Amino acid sequence: MELTREEEAMLEGRQGAAKKKAMEGLLQLGRAFEAPRFVEIGYAHVHAGMALYLEDVELMEQLAAEGAKMAVPASVNIANADIANWRQTGAPEKLARLQHRAESAHQKMGSACTFTCTPYWAGHWPTWNTHMTSIESTVTIFCNSVLGAKSNRDGFFAVYAAMTGRYPLFGYHLDENRRGTLLFHIDTALAGTTDYSCLGFHIGRIAGEGVPVITGFRNRPALDELDAMGAGMATSGGVALFIVPGVTPPFADVVQAFGGAKPPASIAVTRADLDAVYAHFCTGSGGAFDIVHVGCPHASFEEMKEYAGLLDGKKIAANIEFWVTTSRTVRRMAEEAGLLRAIEASGAKVIADTCPISCHFARTTSPDPALGVQPPPIRTVVVDSAKQAKYVRDMIQCDTLLTGTKEAVATALTGRFVPRAP
Amino acid sequence: MSAIAARGIVDGTAKGPALVGAEPISFLGDVDIRTGRVVGDLPSLRNTSVKGTVLIFPYTRGSAGAWRFLYQLYKHANAPVAIVTQTVPDPSVVQGAILARIPIACEPQADLAALVQNGAPVLVEVKNGKAVIRLT
Repeated sequence: MELTREEEAMLEGRQGAAKKKAMEGLLQLGRAFEAPRFVEIGYAHVHAGMALYLEDVELMEQLAAEGAKMAVPASVNIANADIANWRQTGAPEKLARLQHRAESAHQKMGSACTFTCTPYWAGHWPTWNTHMTSIESTVTIFCNSVLGAKSNRDGFFAVYAAMTGRYPLFGYHLDENRRGTLLFHIDTALAGTTDYSCLGFHIGRIAGEGVPVITGFRNRPALDELDAMGAGMATSGGVALFIVPGVTPPFADVVQAFGGAKPPASIAVTRADLDAVYAHFCTGSGGAFDIVHVGCPHASFEEMKEYAGLLDGKKIAANIEFWVTTSRTVRRMAEEAGLLRAIEASGAKVIADTCPISCHFARTTSPDPALGVQPPPIRTVVVDSAKQAKYVRDMIQCDTLLTGTKEAVATALTGRFVPRAP
Repeated sequence: MSAIAARGIVDGTAKGPALVGAEPISFLGDVDIRTGRVVGDLPSLRNTSVKGTVLIFPYTRGSAGAWRFLYQLYKHANAPVAIVTQTVPDPSVVQGAILARIPIACEPQADLAALVQNGAPVLVEVKNGKAVIRLT
């Protein structure tokens, strides 16, 4: 790889030990993917440091101790506990206190302590052609596909790129890789973000690592719908970019989406395909459930308004645990708009910084035994997101009941599972 | 002792018993961090452990969180000593392997699955984009 003088200075340690280690890692990454050089990035979504994994928070503390600073605007990914409000989730205090240490490390490094999987709802909005990095695949696919920024599906090195302002030029940072590989046509009406989540999950299963071009929307999808669709796609496949002509910059039509090449035959997506995803994730028998959850990915302000409207003046059924998860930023916005009062008065819990699959409910983590983490016995979780459904199965390892958002709220209000009406 | 050329992805040298899988692996979900045991639905690797092995399989798949599981396998001393795949692993796995100092080679110039038995010692040497896989 060809390095600039400043990149060589960082690599040789003339700008501190932390940057040297970061550049060494990024150089090895660049060589692995035969990148010709580095590009300068304008935004990074970085690892929180997760208290449910051995010495993972310490990983971030070590960077902070070595003097690492964010060289670009950087938001922090979702964590394993609601740092301020952990009591409501039943998490052990020691876990919350360890997770809090990650917040201190990030404050020292100059990160924006968002602790969310939807930093864009908290004001992080990288524009068209901005090179960036993200440790969270939902953020990668939203920024690539809705904002036109350029990101690979990264891991830990997102923070190395944030510290140095550099990332190797390969993958989705190159326009030649930002081309459609499959064409889908939607032959059904869509109502509610869960339909879009199932649409994304279905398309992702077919597209795998490809770039799906999607046509046939009866009207322009809203931001929450694009977010849900992307999250579903990133979960079932390795999709990092989808193209909706006229929505995804800079693609105005299908021909541009395929780089001028002849588009392939289109694959129809029908109502039956969506119903199959709902059915795939309705494994809880008899409709009994322990928890109802909405807010995956973390809810936007508009979604908080929807929940408040559905819950205002009502009470959820006795001994029902109902979680609404969002970022601490949107939670604050909802509070100031008077929405939080309406939601919490119903008995619902508004949880930030984490969610059911990222908190101590998960069974595939490896916490320090001294933290006393005990995943509670959960048999079934009612969810309104195919992404949350998949990882509830994989990480909480229990049954799921997938339904629409309105139906999930009705389920919490009545105490009986309300399936998505076909 | 035949030596097979391959493309180098993560530098390093490691030796260990081969563990050959026929299915793609997602380190998030398919392997248990605390034991190294394969828990995913991978018929060719049922009841095996990746701990200390030269793990040979077609390609990586799944979540961008894979780096964390590979790094946690290393933290729990349950990680493979080297990884060999057909195609380049996804960026998250490569980043986890660099962090955990696990050498990776890909695109071997021979059909390893046909040449290697599980348990047979394999030496993997990776440097500057070049890799050599020695079957003793």
